[in-house]
Amino acid sequence: MEKIYERKFFRFFCGFLSFSFLIIFWELSDNQGNNPVTQVLPPPSQFLPVLFESDFKIGLGSQSATIYQSITITLIRVLSGMSLAFVGSIIVGLLLSLSKWSELFFVPILSVIAPIAPIAWVPIALVIFGIGNLTAIFIVFMGVFFTLTIATIAEIKRVPTNYIFTAANLGGSKFKIWKSVIIPSILPGVFTLLRLNFIAAWMAVLAAEMTGLRDGLGTVVMTGRNLFNSNLILLGICIIGITGFAVDRILLFIQNKFFWWSTN
Amino acid sequence: MKSNLKCINVSKYFRNNNGFKNQEYVLKDIKLEIKENDFITILGPSGTGKSTLLKLLGGFLKPSTGTIYFNNKKLEKITPLISMVFQEHTLFPWLNVEENVAFGFDLKGLRRKDYRDKVNESLEQVGLFNSKNLFPHQLSGGMKQRVSLARSLAVDSEILLLDEPFSSLDIQLRRNLQKLLLSIKKDYKKSMVLVTHNVEEAILLGSKLILLEGKPAIIKNQMDVSCSSYSDRYSQEFLALQKDLETKIEFN
Repeated sequence: MEKIYERKFFRFFCGFLSFSFLIIFWELSDNQGNNPVTQVLPPPSQFLPVLFESDFKIGLGSQSATIYQSITITLIRVLSGMSLAFVGSIIVGLLLSLSKWSELFFVPILSVIAPIAPIAWVPIALVIFGIGNLTAIFIVFMGVFFTLTIATIAEIKRVPTNYIFTAANLGGSKFKIWKSVIIPSILPGVFTLLRLNFIAAWMAVLAAEMTGLRDGLGTVVMTGRNLFNSNLILLGICIIGITGFAVDRILLFIQNKFFWWSTN
Repeated sequence: MKSNLKCINVSKYFRNNNGFKNQEYVLKDIKLEIKENDFITILGPSGTGKSTLLKLLGGFLKPSTGTIYFNNKKLEKITPLISMVFQEHTLFPWLNVEENVAFGFDLKGLRRKDYRDKVNESLEQVGLFNSKNLFPHQLSGGMKQRVSLARSLAVDSEILLLDEPFSSLDIQLRRNLQKLLLSIKKDYKKSMVLVTHNVEEAILLGSKLILLEGKPAIIKNQMDVSCSSYSDRYSQEFLALQKDLETKIEFN
C-alpha cells in the first residue's frame, strides 16, 4: 500500500506548508522593531511590490529590461549551453569509445578540465567572445561538457554485452548497433546527469551575467547591488530560485517522458 | 540447403587475471555435429561450461583450439543464421513487444509492411499477439522469454541456440514453454540446441542428449533420446534414464 508521504498531493502540500512557514517567519521577524537583518533581507511584503511598482521593469534608462526579458535571456543562454554540451558530449564520448587508445590519451585531459569551476572560464570567454550571449553559452558549455563526456564513456561501458550480442545476432552492422542499441542505452543515464548538472550550469550563467554581461537575471541582482537596493536583490534572488526550480521540474518531466527506461 | 554445424576438437580456455601464463581450460576436445532437425540438449552441472559451448556454437566466442564449421565454412563471426536466446532476457526496454520482435528487420532497414506478417506470426506462435503494445517492464519473466523466442523465430535462422531460457521460471510456466518449444520445432523445422541443468527437460525435449562433465569439461556421454518412450515423462525408461543421469551429475 502506498504510504501517505509517497502521495503526490501530500508531498506538494508539505512543500507548500514549509514555504508558508518560511514566509510567515520572515514577515514576523520584521515586526520585532529595528531588526538589522531585515534591512539586508527585507520581507516579501516589502520587496514584491517593487515588481508591480516598476511595471515589471528593472534597470536604469536604456539598460532597463522587463523581468520577462531577463528570465527569457537567461533561460536561452543556459538551455543553449546545456543542449550543445549534451549533444557534444554524446558525440565526443562515442568517438572516444571507438578506440581504446583515444580513450587512454584523452580521458585524463577531460578529467583534469572537468573539475574547473565554470566561473573560472569567464575571463577567457570575455577575451574570446566579448560581452554577449556567446560568452554565457560558452561558460555553461564548459561547466557541463567535460563531466557529461566522462559520464557518456562510463555509460557506454555499462551497456550490457548481451544487448550487443543480440543485435549482432539479428544481423546488425557496427554502425546500426551504435545507433539502435548503444545510443538508446546511454541516453537516460546521460540525461539524468545533465539534469543534475543543471544547477551547476544555472550558477555558471548567473555568475557570467553578474561579472560581465548587461542583461539577464544575474544582472538584476547586480543592479540591486549597484543601487544599494536590497529589495531588488531579494527580488532577483527569488526569481532565480523559482525559475531554476521550474526548469528542473521541466527537465524531470522530459526525463520521465522521453528517457524513462533503464538497462539495469 | 541442409544446415550443419560441426565442432572439431574444440577447446576453450580463458586467461586468468593473474598473468598470461595461467590459462584455465573450460572445454577440452569437443567433437559435436548438429544436423538438420536435430534437437540437441546439453546437460551438465552448473559451471561446467555449457553456456561457453553454446557461445562458441553461435560465434560469440572464438575457440582457443579446434575449428567450428557452419554449412562447411569456418564459423568466424556471429551470424543471423544461428540465433540465440540468452538465459536472461535481452529485450530492449525502450521498445515495445512488437518493436522488439521486429528489431532484426529494422536493423536491416526493411519497411514495416514487408515484415509485419512475419512479426505477427511469431507473436501468435508464442501466444503474445495481444500483448504486442506492452513494454518489457510490463511483462512477467515467462512472457519476456517468449518475446525473446519470438524475436529469434521471426528472423528465420537455421539453428536456434537456447541458453537455459527457462531456468528462472516456475514449474508450470516451464512446462508450458517446453510444449511451446516442441511445437516450434514441429512447425518451423529448425535445428535446436538447448543448454539445461534440468535432467527431465533434457530427456523430454531432446532428440540427442550430450552430457558434459569434469574440469575442463569434456563430452562424457552422447545418447539418442529420440525414441517415443522418452517423450513420456512417466514411462519406466524415462524415469530410469533420469535417475541414472541425476546420479552421474550428483556424483560429479
